[in-house]
Amino acid sequence: MKILATIYKEFLLLIRDPGGMALIFIMPLALVIVMALVQDAPFRDYQEFRIDVLLIDNDTDSLSAKLKEAFNASRNVNLIILSDTVEATALVRSGKYKAAIIIPKDASNTLRKNTRQLITSIFSNFGLAADQTDSAELPIVTLEILLDPAIKANFQQTLSGAIEKIIATVQTGWVLEELQNQLSEGNAEAKKIDFDLSQIIQVSQRYASENKYQGLVLNSVQHNVPAWTMFAMFFILYPLAGNFIKEREEGSMLRLRLISGSQFPIISGKFAFYFIVCLVQFLMMILVGIFVMPFLGLSKLVLGEDVVLIFITASCVAMAATGYGILIAVYFRTAQQALSFGSISVVILSAIGGVWVPVYVMPEILQTLSQFSPMSWGLESFNDLFLRQASFQTILPNLLRLVGFALVTGTASIIVNNARTVE
Amino acid sequence: MTYSVVHLEHLTKQYSNSSTPAVLDVSIDIPEGAVFGLLGPNGAGKSTTVMILCGLLRPDSGKVYVMEKNMLEHGTAIRKKIGVAPQEIALFPSLTAYENLFYFGRMYGLNASFIRKQIEQYLDIFGLAVKSKKLVNTFSGGMKRRLNLIAALLHQPKLVILDEPTAGVDVQSRNLILDFLSDLRSQGTTIIYSSHVLEEAERLCSHVGIINEGKLMSAGTLSAVMGKHPDCQNLEQLFLKLTGKNIRD
Repeated sequence: MKILATIYKEFLLLIRDPGGMALIFIMPLALVIVMALVQDAPFRDYQEFRIDVLLIDNDTDSLSAKLKEAFNASRNVNLIILSDTVEATALVRSGKYKAAIIIPKDASNTLRKNTRQLITSIFSNFGLAADQTDSAELPIVTLEILLDPAIKANFQQTLSGAIEKIIATVQTGWVLEELQNQLSEGNAEAKKIDFDLSQIIQVSQRYASENKYQGLVLNSVQHNVPAWTMFAMFFILYPLAGNFIKEREEGSMLRLRLISGSQFPIISGKFAFYFIVCLVQFLMMILVGIFVMPFLGLSKLVLGEDVVLIFITASCVAMAATGYGILIAVYFRTAQQALSFGSISVVILSAIGGVWVPVYVMPEILQTLSQFSPMSWGLESFNDLFLRQASFQTILPNLLRLVGFALVTGTASIIVNNARTVE
Repeated sequence: MTYSVVHLEHLTKQYSNSSTPAVLDVSIDIPEGAVFGLLGPNGAGKSTTVMILCGLLRPDSGKVYVMEKNMLEHGTAIRKKIGVAPQEIALFPSLTAYENLFYFGRMYGLNASFIRKQIEQYLDIFGLAVKSKKLVNTFSGGMKRRLNLIAALLHQPKLVILDEPTAGVDVQSRNLILDFLSDLRSQGTTIIYSSHVLEEAERLCSHVGIINEGKLMSAGTLSAVMGKHPDCQNLEQLFLKLTGKNIRD
């Protein structure tokens, strides 16, 4: 009864505190939406990413045609043809365009001659008859890629790799063609074969998840919704500690200490109420991920299949967050100390826990530290459930860590508070 | 032999950040049904004595018996029989008067129907019935003080400890509170009344204890204490005689 009375009292105090309501429910929703939008581009796969690239075609032959054909078929690159190298350089330098590809004059012809000389020298080396018409040393063909200094390294690599792949494909085609040309000399009946090189070897990629969830990867929504939901749940310490210390300063806590020696019903009631608030926060954030994010042009949050396990995980995170909040509230004597320490510690725990950026992109030392952040335990469990359709056994170790954290902080809160009841 | 509701024996308490004891060798007996005025200037040791008596502060030495039970050993059980109205307004400002009282009633472990009955009765007595659904943060100082007192009485305590119960209230509210305390005393409730207002103490108290710099200067029935100092016309003169005229901070 005392616990229920405390839950009801906390409910009344919260609904009459518009600032607290906004902090608990409105701000986290705004935060998760903003963070998902901001981090959408960095998270987005480069297969989905489209960038304008300038092409200065001084060749206007087979090589440039093949490049245009390949890039036009690509979803990543939108080619914009320019004729002036100076203008293109200025545009890239200004940052208006991220890259420009400059194909030198006569590139196709030179490359073709290079290929012919290569085949001729191979034939000669094996004592076969070869076309010796052009044996002068030819220049190396250099394709130039101008890059904006602010371009991301991985995009630069993707662009270079794509060009090199196109050149290799073109050149392989020419090698095969030249081989057929030289081998068929004097044989008018010989038929040339068009080779489809893609039929020789293919690279197939797929995610190690159930067929139903193929193509579902860690995108901005899948990362940010659970990550910032946990941040918001841990940030519950702000209203929790604020109210707790306010009660202590205003004197109502003194009356409660005078009424009963044991602080268990008071602490438990607060714990239960804020635990429920955390779950409501979680539900709201999930609903935003499912129903609001798609309206903003983002992906829809996919939860996986096991709603019960998601609820259990959310409950464990809520317990850990509430336990931590109460310990901060009880331990610190002034609101300024509690709120400063509490909010900074939550930011640190969230940073090392992989809320801001995924743990795998962090330096090794932070990856080691992340193992001690309750937010990392929670986030890993949500990723396991959402993306990997993990079983209860898989997430159990992290759930036990969260519950252990809640028990330790909750017990410490009761001990500290009881010790201060009689000084 | 008279039954002592409160028995303090050689009570001493010194705070770690102070060079002098807050309370030094204080012994007091308060008989059942008495109104005991604990009087003293600022910093004399009244609040420390009250805190020890409520079990919120542990003495360095000495014994504290309330209703014949050792406070240090049976604090939780004893607290259920004590009603304390601290000097601070110990209420939730964002709750209504009714919600505050109902919550505190629940925390005393009382059942809902009894709490409702008590709330109705006390709100009526203290002239707050029409304000029962108003938030406490809209109340005047006098209304808050009356509500603060009601919160200490809901569970029908046998011992009521009041720390400055009339501080900051108007004459009407003060009169109402003092009349109520007289009635409460007549019903057999023991009251410990800590105050600076000696005129009130003289009107209300059957017993007084004057404390100064942590030491109990005089204690007993009001008439006996006054009788030891025939040169003093009233309690204020006696108070100044025992505690001096120097200003205290």
